[in-house]
Amino acid sequence: MTAWVKGGAADVDAAVDAAADLLAAARVPVLAGLSAEVSALRAAYRLAETLGASLDPVSGPSLYAELGALSAGGAMSTTRAETIGRADLVLVVGNRPWDGSLIAEIAAVSPSRGRAAGAERALLSLGGPQNGAIRHVAYAPEAGGLAVSLGHLRAFAKGHLAGEEAYADLARRLFAAQYGVIVYDAEEVGELGVEMLQGLIRDLNESTRFFALTLADPFQGRATVQLSAWTTGQAPRVGFGRHQPEHDPWRFDSARQIAAGEADAALWLASLPAPRPAWLGSLPTIAIVGEGSPEAAGETAEIVITVGVPGESIGGALWNERRGVIAYAEPKGQPAAAEKLNAADVLARIRDRLIEKGVSC
Amino acid sequence: MSTLRLRGEPQERVDLLSITPLALKALTEAEAGKLAIGTSRRGLTLGDVFEISLDGSDSLVIEGGSSRLDRVGAALSEGSIRVEGDVGQRLGEGMAGGTLTVTGSAGPYAATGATGGTITIEGDAGDHAGGAVYAAKAGLDGATLVIKGRAGDHLGDRMRKGLILAESAGAFAASRMIAGTIVVSGALGDHPGYGMRRGTLIAGSHGALLPTFVETGTPDLVFTRLLAQTLKRLGASQVSLFGGTLRRYSGDLATLGKGELFVPA
Repeated sequence: MTAWVKGGAADVDAAVDAAADLLAAARVPVLAGLSAEVSALRAAYRLAETLGASLDPVSGPSLYAELGALSAGGAMSTTRAETIGRADLVLVVGNRPWDGSLIAEIAAVSPSRGRAAGAERALLSLGGPQNGAIRHVAYAPEAGGLAVSLGHLRAFAKGHLAGEEAYADLARRLFAAQYGVIVYDAEEVGELGVEMLQGLIRDLNESTRFFALTLADPFQGRATVQLSAWTTGQAPRVGFGRHQPEHDPWRFDSARQIAAGEADAALWLASLPAPRPAWLGSLPTIAIVGEGSPEAAGETAEIVITVGVPGESIGGALWNERRGVIAYAEPKGQPAAAEKLNAADVLARIRDRLIEKGVSC
Repeated sequence: MSTLRLRGEPQERVDLLSITPLALKALTEAEAGKLAIGTSRRGLTLGDVFEISLDGSDSLVIEGGSSRLDRVGAALSEGSIRVEGDVGQRLGEGMAGGTLTVTGSAGPYAATGATGGTITIEGDAGDHAGGAVYAAKAGLDGATLVIKGRAGDHLGDRMRKGLILAESAGAFAASRMIAGTIVVSGALGDHPGYGMRRGTLIAGSHGALLPTFVETGTPDLVFTRLLAQTLKRLGASQVSLFGGTLRRYSGDLATLGKGELFVPA
């Protein structure tokens, strides 16, 4: 296992000591990234509680686009398996859902269960990339973007607008479905758009069955939401500066805190790949990163500790998008050495050192 | 008149929720100095951040401002607070009455959930002024918010009741508005009234209009004349909008569609 302190190779104990010193000296530390297995996330929340730090996952913008609408108006959601098994109409909103294998899987089969079993599956897209490989009916977005398009569509669905426009046709098709699903990426659609889309789904459920299938972010955000909820009762952006978890999505936005000069130390946790934050290097930082990642180098931060990568070199509980649950991922290849370091251990050791030093919130 | 003189830029965000003339009335300066206002584990107190001078009156002046002063006047129910400088987020959050004045600019979510009283920002307001915070049912909820400068995006988001005046505003003004009145003397950004259910938005001009707002003519409404009289009494510059005919748009037809946007014809 490899660690660096101020660019020089160090053993893990020395790096843990240096990390505890760095955090103990901070007034407003932030724990960011949080692209990691559940045990490491749990250790991060425990460390934050001891330290009085705030937490912010790299998936924050995506999570809050969804949570903002959910907290205000609720949501009607379904799973990937239900969509493939039951939907006779799938509307794909935006570009991002086309990136993975999901749409191809949906297009490959017809509904086999429920009220639409045996029917043809219609695949529609709104503002998609015009993917020619998969047969579907494409509707162009409004110039104002997806949120504006969804509002326009909903006005036709409600019967507040009428005419022969494309969206009138799309609205008719939605109501004709027996079991419809709208697939979207919350960050791409935006909070306002998600709320509008969920409102459209509510309207459709007046006369048929309709659900949302939201893509999970690729950085363990869904797992972080669950862990934060069962640990603090709140969504992920919480701070422990006042001895209790306070939730404030604006105040605990780590990029904002760092840009405003409020945060004076950061811990970047990414045992799984995550986009490198623009602020690395602008404040004293500890990076706990997966071995073999581009960030596993002495110049990434003051203190860098490499750890096992869950689902690769070590086992760990991760968000499983296919099943929509947190599930254990086995290490790949040869069984890992017993002494393999994981991020949860490193965070727990930093926390222990802080408690020994008498730092406690 | 009691005063709090800022000693310098606070080293962390401070939370002034519990600092009102009413709360300070019963306290000596030494007791007030011990009130916790910090948001980090360092436990900053009022005395650490401000020089305190109290006289038991119902008016409080905060001399010196900072964008790190959060929730100024949030618990205000009577009396007045005047800040000579800037403030941070959630100015007057949930305020029930009294007068709150900021001579500088305010951060996001000014006047969120405020049910009564008057909040005046002499500079600019950040995004979501009069707008709802995360998971809140409503933004401005009965108070009057006067912004003499520019308001950011999402002015009056999910606003439920009350009056907002501003010089200009960013994109998505009156988004998800439930009810109430917003009058902007200058320009609005793009897409005003997104998801607006009811309420009235009056502006000098606007950016891109949503396809779910439809023009409904130039009616001569008693309501607009009454509103003009109210604005005149307040001495608001926005009254100039009411000199001629107003063109009315109805929306957002994606939702209830009982909202309205007026612009000079």
